[in-house]
Amino acid sequence: MVSLSDTAPVAPRRPRRPAFRRFTISNMLIAILLLVCVIWLVVPFGMAVLWSLLDPSVRWEYPDVLPPALSFARWIEVWNTTSLPMALRNSYILAPTVAVTTLILASPTAYAFARHDFPGKGAAQVLTLLPLVIPGFVLAIFFSALIFSLGIYSRFLSILLAHSVLFLPYAIRLMTVAFSNVRLDLVDAARDLGASPWARFRVAYWPALAPGILASLIIVFIQSIEEFAVAFVVGAPNFTTIPSILYSYLGYNFVRPNAAVVSLVLVIPNVLLMLGLERLLKSANPAQTGVKG
Amino acid sequence: MTLRRTLTIAALLTPGLGLILVMVGSVFYIAVAQSFGYYNLSGESAFSLDHWRDVLGSKQFGRSLGYSAYIAIISALGSIAIAYPLAIWMRKPFRGSLVVGSLLKAPLFVPGLVAAFLFLNVIAYHGVLNQFLIWTGLTDAPIRFQNDRNGFGVIFLQLWKNMPLALLLLTGAVQGISDEVVDAARDLGAGPLARFRKVIAPLTVQAMQAALIIIFIGAAGDFAFQVTAGPTNVQSMAQYMVFLKTSFGRWNQAAVVGVSLMGLALVGALGLAGLARLTLRGLKW
Amino acid sequence: MLRKLLVAATAIGLASGVQAQDQNDLLSKSWDDIVAQAKDEGSVNWFVWYFQPRYRELAEAFTAEYGIEVMIPEGTHEGNIDKVLAETGRERGDVDLLAMGADRIELFKQENLVGPLNDVLPNAGTMTTEVGGFDGQGYGWAYWGNQTGIAYDPEAIDEADLPQSVEDFAAYWETNPGRFGFNYENGGSGPSFFTHVARNLTDADFTSGEVTEEKMDALQPAWDFFLDHTDGYVITASNTDSLIRLSNREFALVPAWEDHLFKLQGEKEVSDRIKFYIPEFGMTGGGNINVIPANAPHPAAALVFLNWVSSPETQTRFNEVFGAAPMNSAADDSHALIPNDMRARAVSSPANPFNTELRQAFIEHVALER
Repeated sequence: MVSLSDTAPVAPRRPRRPAFRRFTISNMLIAILLLVCVIWLVVPFGMAVLWSLLDPSVRWEYPDVLPPALSFARWIEVWNTTSLPMALRNSYILAPTVAVTTLILASPTAYAFARHDFPGKGAAQVLTLLPLVIPGFVLAIFFSALIFSLGIYSRFLSILLAHSVLFLPYAIRLMTVAFSNVRLDLVDAARDLGASPWARFRVAYWPALAPGILASLIIVFIQSIEEFAVAFVVGAPNFTTIPSILYSYLGYNFVRPNAAVVSLVLVIPNVLLMLGLERLLKSANPAQTGVKG
Repeated sequence: MTLRRTLTIAALLTPGLGLILVMVGSVFYIAVAQSFGYYNLSGESAFSLDHWRDVLGSKQFGRSLGYSAYIAIISALGSIAIAYPLAIWMRKPFRGSLVVGSLLKAPLFVPGLVAAFLFLNVIAYHGVLNQFLIWTGLTDAPIRFQNDRNGFGVIFLQLWKNMPLALLLLTGAVQGISDEVVDAARDLGAGPLARFRKVIAPLTVQAMQAALIIIFIGAAGDFAFQVTAGPTNVQSMAQYMVFLKTSFGRWNQAAVVGVSLMGLALVGALGLAGLARLTLRGLKW
Repeated sequence: MLRKLLVAATAIGLASGVQAQDQNDLLSKSWDDIVAQAKDEGSVNWFVWYFQPRYRELAEAFTAEYGIEVMIPEGTHEGNIDKVLAETGRERGDVDLLAMGADRIELFKQENLVGPLNDVLPNAGTMTTEVGGFDGQGYGWAYWGNQTGIAYDPEAIDEADLPQSVEDFAAYWETNPGRFGFNYENGGSGPSFFTHVARNLTDADFTSGEVTEEKMDALQPAWDFFLDHTDGYVITASNTDSLIRLSNREFALVPAWEDHLFKLQGEKEVSDRIKFYIPEFGMTGGGNINVIPANAPHPAAALVFLNWVSSPETQTRFNEVFGAAPMNSAADDSHALIPNDMRARAVSSPANPFNTELRQAFIEHVALER
């Protein structure tokens, strides 16, 4: 912000200059961003789209730069010959449920980490990371065996429990950050002004918590929708999730076009979902307030 | 600490930490016990230090440990380094910032294996990149980028997948900084770098640490990127572990590698996070 | 809940002895009684990790014959195996029949599988329980034969010039560096190649599974051979990676599994121009087997299906449809990708533990040293 005393006497047009400079810098930034976007997004996603549209009657390989023939045949084939419709339904019911459950389970622990000091807190915080570092095959075999031995009849509930426990570390870590960003002076001020608990939450807690909630919902959602080992071992053969199909196409049954179809089926709704969630949380955030200084 | 306070904290910790300890504690115990000879699914189980001796004594193990640490450190620091400027740029909402932000975060939603196969397509011997390089005359013959010795392919993939995660965490934190604070720093004559060092970084250090920890642990345990794009003269820890198990049925040795990987993940992640805080403290005053 | 959990936690990984009794009862029954029980069970699932849509079609013949529904779920090789292992402690699991590479038999304890079945299955006399150097001991039964060899691009190398001996390969590498690729993990095609190069270059005894220090030291000439030619060949990431890069003209020759090549050509992932041969120095034949977990939910139906899938008729059909080498000596094998005289070059892989130690040694002495 340029103060009046700077501008008035000699150079009447001076105030415009910083704005102009900012304008070019932001133009340059946008140009760079576009270029990066091409490398970062357009090339890989473009490849995925092209692969998914490759007609089954032809092969796409060197020296063809582009696929020789395009059609929706792969999409139709994957949709009709695999259990993708069922897997989609399962995954899109499971992952949001896991995300919300995990957030609820994680919040009290995160609150304690952020707002209380107690002996052994450091060790407790390290222990919460345990699920992230357990070796993959131990999880697939022994953690699944543990889930089995609980005797939960429903496969959905079994996977829900397994995923919630496995992805708790993300939510705990992120919500701890969020809770410690809550400004106590605002909480006190609101209380002094006689605000109701709900109003206090809206003014003092929500602005700091919202980004953490968004981040932990998104991250846990992604982890759950991508997790293969435990979901497969516990869910097969009756409860199929999307990774079972995806991993099958990227393993021995290596079929690139079909794998591209499945991954696009995953990515597109997810990005839209994230956009919606972000908008939702932003609109619920009346004022951008600061972090405790 | 009063009894009441102790109980409150215990109650708060139960659904999160408590659940983890009950459910994962025993699995963790199995991993450790397995490395000492128990829970051998295909043979006799008995206490033994041989597995540790055999694995720690092999050249392969040292190489794997070093390699996984290298990939994890570069990935974690690199993701943060790219994400910070972007997060600061998007601190103030502008027209289209929501869409730009979402697009930048899109790689988060691409499963690792798919990312790896798309990447291989691009860098293949006769892939787009090589054809482009030949077309521009920068090279006469295709270059073999796949499975490069330095693990650059894996690092690129890690950054592609993890930078958005760092961005997600840092955007939230950076947006939480109030304008007054940043403006005050600017009025005091702090340049962009100084503003970053003295205001933005210290106020977002927790988010940064969270990102470092999550990315480091993920990258240290990477399997999918390594088996498709990684160097063929070294194995990552996760790859080595799976290799011992599936190719050789050596459950106990695989567990030794697994337990070592857990150690690497915890020590490395916390070390990096601690280092971040220490460095900032040094910078700040 | 907590108590249940603690009990559960301590019981993980311990095989339960509950199923042993039921199993003995079942195996002591006559085949007719087993078939009758199978029909009562009404359905069977087969966890196989490839060709699922084709197998579903072929299994319709089984349903028509016995009236037993067959379910073939999506899944991966490792995923299926992990599932069975994770379920070991359950009284009743989800898996009736598990298909896997013959080498994986070593991941299982016999007490957790149904068997031995030599005296139970009517087709046992012509079926095989030993395949590719691995012995299923009556618990694992082959249903799928495959062969490693070299896949090549006829547009890059003439049939007459194909390397046949280890020396031929060395000469080819000298004149065409970087045109040959093989893997040492994620699939057995590359390991088959270096194993048999080692067999041809050294005095070590490849017929016994015994491991001694002298025997491992005797392999040194083979490792020197690979280290002397590091520019000649490229290490690839997997069986699939080798074939895709061959098809995309990066390589001229790669070791491959015959059935895998056939499969990828069917999916149009690999060009039809790619051909396959077994070099004269010989490469490994192998196979896939079925096992029945001891806690299979439909054990009788699993037995009937196991017997059916390895029967002469089904094996002949697999040979016609997939080109797979039949795993029943009474089956017709006229539809393979390679002529039968070439199949005579198949060599079995060395027995364990030597086989494992050899692969480990290749990594230590060659892969890590490049």
